[in-house]
Amino acid sequence: MTKATETKIDLKKLDEIIIKNKGKQGEILNILEEAQKTIEHQFLPEAALNHIAVQTGVPLSKIYNIITFYSFFNLKPQGDHTITVCRGTACHTRGSKALLDDIGMLMGGSKELEDGEPSFTTPDNKFTIRTVACFGQCALAPVVAIDEVIHSHMTVTKLQKLVAIVAKGGKN
Amino acid sequence: MEKINIKVNGKDYQVDKGQTILNACKKAGVNIPHLCYMEDVADNASCGVCVVEVKGARALVRSCVQQANEAMEITTNSKKVMDARKTNVELLLANHPNECLTCGRNQNCELQEISQVMGIKETRYVRTKKIDAIDTTSPSLVRDPNKCILCGRCVKICSAVQTVHAINVANRGLKSKVTTFMDKGLGNSVCVNCGQCAIVCPTGAIVERDDTAAVFTALQASGKTVIVQTAPAIRVGIGEAMGMGAGALVTGKMVAALRRLGFSKVFDTDFSADLTIMEEGHELIKRIKTGGTLPMITSCSPGWIKFIEHFFPEQLGNLSTCKSPQQMFGALAKSFYAEKMGLDPRNVVVVSIMPCTAKKYEAKRPEMMGAFDYWKNKMALTENDKFYDVDYVLTTRELARMFKETGIQFAELPNEEFDSPLGASTGAAVIFGATGGVMEAALRTAYEVLTGTALPSLDLTVVRGMEGIKEAELDINGMKVKVAVAHTLANARKLLEQIKAGTSPYAFIEVMTCPGGCIGGGGQPIPTTWAIRKKRAESIYSEDKNKGLRKSHENPEVAVLYKDFLKEPLGHLSHELLHTEYIKRGILV
Repeated sequence: MTKATETKIDLKKLDEIIIKNKGKQGEILNILEEAQKTIEHQFLPEAALNHIAVQTGVPLSKIYNIITFYSFFNLKPQGDHTITVCRGTACHTRGSKALLDDIGMLMGGSKELEDGEPSFTTPDNKFTIRTVACFGQCALAPVVAIDEVIHSHMTVTKLQKLVAIVAKGGKN
Repeated sequence: MEKINIKVNGKDYQVDKGQTILNACKKAGVNIPHLCYMEDVADNASCGVCVVEVKGARALVRSCVQQANEAMEITTNSKKVMDARKTNVELLLANHPNECLTCGRNQNCELQEISQVMGIKETRYVRTKKIDAIDTTSPSLVRDPNKCILCGRCVKICSAVQTVHAINVANRGLKSKVTTFMDKGLGNSVCVNCGQCAIVCPTGAIVERDDTAAVFTALQASGKTVIVQTAPAIRVGIGEAMGMGAGALVTGKMVAALRRLGFSKVFDTDFSADLTIMEEGHELIKRIKTGGTLPMITSCSPGWIKFIEHFFPEQLGNLSTCKSPQQMFGALAKSFYAEKMGLDPRNVVVVSIMPCTAKKYEAKRPEMMGAFDYWKNKMALTENDKFYDVDYVLTTRELARMFKETGIQFAELPNEEFDSPLGASTGAAVIFGATGGVMEAALRTAYEVLTGTALPSLDLTVVRGMEGIKEAELDINGMKVKVAVAHTLANARKLLEQIKAGTSPYAFIEVMTCPGGCIGGGGQPIPTTWAIRKKRAESIYSEDKNKGLRKSHENPEVAVLYKDFLKEPLGHLSHELLHTEYIKRGILV
């Protein structure tokens, strides 16, 4: 498992991002977004945040305020694959809560998800399970996205099969 | 001032244009209950207690942020308004623990007061928030997020007034909370321990670390000599905390009460404030004469010290190397005084009464062991014998609690005098408690040392008052010397930016962390408003005026200290006991 402290950050790349956005509208938000995308496992390790704070002069408490407000930002390493369960109204009425509970249980993170954590990553760093308010694919409810590919009329059996394929390195 | 006509609860009023409904109504004699709003500090409009009805508006209006306009018809007491107000308070109470009886702010809590005023007898709503851990990482402050009502005052004062940004709101919705970066806690952040957040907190969510129990234990232990020092600003704050008027000057009663509490000697930090002037004044003269780093900046205020260490580490050379009066006192109490009285320094307990939460932190800085170093070789002490110069620091508020707990009838006490030989002081030391005071005291002495004559007027009114940055120019033997005084760290930051840019015209700068100086310190009675700060400052200056001696170099006990012990300002012993070094911290903790 990749720990925050073990993640190597490319400071040169980070500095490029900081310089590129300097003085632009939404400077700090852009920097954080681009930084997360370039860092392995799609998250913002403390060392990266420290570096951004020092270089931009934005207080660390303000950075924390921003990254805890937007669910886009991750403070923990994300899994190799992301399973996104839609929790919009249409998907909810077609059983997305049960889907989330089942996949949560299978992955061993049901407690975190019940506690209202926005996402959960398996200890082996293979999968991250997260929720989304709506994909805009309500006619196909319930929908689940695996690595940005949206699957319609999802059932637990179908999802388990897909997860097994992805876990073995196959395409979903 | 342009006037507007408004109607409040059916009555016509004429008020100044350009103010909020809340203030306009106040001027018209109608008080609107409010909770999160605080004049000059915060208007986040988060609590919803100050709602009023405005004719023509679609919904209830938050009077703390909405401007009053011409012909506005405002209702502050309709059933709709009163029900909404009550509901909003009840919703806050749903997530607020019922711990009033054991809370640090019991009977001094705005939430408690407002629920009483609202006539709330029960809370109809169930708790929706999870219990959060209490932050005990700071040596000065304790934060209980469960008691927080998210009014945002602390965040505002920490960012806007102090520019420290130790805390902010994190997360969203029900999970919103005020916290530090990565929830590391105040003690692991850039927090400078100034305690202004505790002063403005409406509830007990941020309070000083309570050291009263430890001091009671020390007072009751046998074989210990427990002595106390009182900062200049306590004599104008403790009376207030004991139910006397704002700014009540109670020096004599304070001394009497401390004796009754059981301290074996009652000494005065004013003594070491005079000593600070001797050391700092000579340091300034030396720097001016020998081309040392200028401007020199005062170093009495521990919040300020941590601030410059975090945010301007490259400017540490501008700081005076003098320890603060509290630490000078502690170092001398366990060296000079212990030696004189034949006491084992390990059995001397030094308690400070300070208007300040940062002093608790300062006392525990690892370098503040001057007396231990003094005795180390003489007594063959080992690392296990290590002791701090100052053992416990109590704020004004904590001292008031101890007085009350021991049944001391403060207002009835006679006036008593400080003990000798660390108790004599001059007017110059007293004014250390107000912004501009250290500057004025230093100039009274430095001017005389440099010119051989006293200042034309001892009252340097130009450096007094509550303006954020004050400056003055002095003619010393034909040399023009410019000085500046700043209070609050936002103002200090401005002067530091100047120094960094190489454009600072000053030779000497005084910085105090808190608004108004120590009289407005984070350990002072709550509430501390501008009106109250001014009253405390008035008392400080009247004490100075009435002192026989008003210049630090005239302090007879300080003279004896130099003659018998230190020998000379900036001498070898001074260097060992009274001066210190600083740490380059940076913003990463």
